[in-house]
Amino acid sequence: MATQSTLAALQGAVVEEEVQLTLVELCQACCAEQEHVLTWVLEGVLEPAGNEPQDWRFSGESLRRARLALRLSQDLEINPPGVALALDLMDEIAELRAQLQRIGAGQ
Amino acid sequence: MKFKDYYETLGVPRTSTQDEVKHAYRKLARKYHPDVSKDDNAEARFKEIGEAYAVLKDPEKRAAYDQMGSQWKTGQDFQPPPGWDAGFEFSGGDFGAGPGGDHSDFFEALFGRHARAAQHAHMHARGEDHHAKVLIDLIDAYRGAQRGITLRLPVVDPQGHVTTQERTLEVRIPKGIRAGQHLRLNGQGGPGLGKGMAGDLYLEIAFKPDPHFRADGRNVYVDLPLAPWEAALGASVTTPTPDGPVQLTIPPGSVAGRQLRMKGRGIPGAPPGDLYVVLNIALPPADNDAAKEAYRTMAKAFDFNPRQTPKG
Repeated sequence: MATQSTLAALQGAVVEEEVQLTLVELCQACCAEQEHVLTWVLEGVLEPAGNEPQDWRFSGESLRRARLALRLSQDLEINPPGVALALDLMDEIAELRAQLQRIGAGQ
Repeated sequence: MKFKDYYETLGVPRTSTQDEVKHAYRKLARKYHPDVSKDDNAEARFKEIGEAYAVLKDPEKRAAYDQMGSQWKTGQDFQPPPGWDAGFEFSGGDFGAGPGGDHSDFFEALFGRHARAAQHAHMHARGEDHHAKVLIDLIDAYRGAQRGITLRLPVVDPQGHVTTQERTLEVRIPKGIRAGQHLRLNGQGGPGLGKGMAGDLYLEIAFKPDPHFRADGRNVYVDLPLAPWEAALGASVTTPTPDGPVQLTIPPGSVAGRQLRMKGRGIPGAPPGDLYVVLNIALPPADNDAAKEAYRTMAKAFDFNPRQTPKG
């Protein structure tokens, strides 16, 4: 118990607000190959700021999308245009669910 | 250890072709993928399907599995016969169905040791980044909090078996965090190889379901039941908010479904979210003579037909 209380609490950064990721960091964070991320940028799944891959900065939100894209392509063997379509549709479903929840019908 | 009938899991006969196996897997995988399915057991189901497919899609593993015979049923006690895999040559190191290698004991007993043979490389590399989902209370996002978070991490022992190790981290939950956001904890991911740095740990935040409040991004919703006369005449009522009850003025002529916005009383931040109070109208039961009489008086007082089509 004594050791528990001496542990300082870990302070994290809120990825969506405080963090921008480079291509290398994004690949590391979601265990994806660079080649995958490049394809997803080409398909519009991810939209980094900056022109050249070495200058790219991904928003924190890209992390969620990239992990989702990776899982869909690995688990369901969906190709990149399919992943892009699935993510767009999932965004739309999430927005509709949120609307339902706002009017109290989503429970 | 319990036997697993991988054919039954995928719903295909033992005689099915590789294409049929693949077809069955794809169909089930789409149905139960945790990112897509709303089924409560989706994740467990998806893992079972993935494990079954990892064996049956691979002709080598399928042949080895098949030679144990068809008399086994799912759930039967099972020990792999000694030398069961003699004469089968397993190629390559990548045997898992996906990252993490979170398979059943049954799978590990049959294929585990082969699956992980090639992972020891002598090099310096940064550790893997890890991800975990944590549930917090909505109030933690309002006030900030310090929470002990227990994570289970699959680790591979020297024999190649996967066991789970628990560790508890004390984590500061920053005020204003929202569901779906990630906290990055530097150096709390997988250990580095050689002199490589440890990876990072990403915690995905979700709120525990709350009986009153629903969060949507930075906005929060709460249902407020009103008596018909409060809605019709206006009232000042005590309304729960995540940060404690407040007095709320209900304007006269309020109807069910109307939303009253309490600016800045959602999840804090810059800008803070809003709290939306969704009005609904509860009818008092007509369960005694006085109540029945009151309803009759109302019926006389109003020239009111709720089914009348609106003019125009």
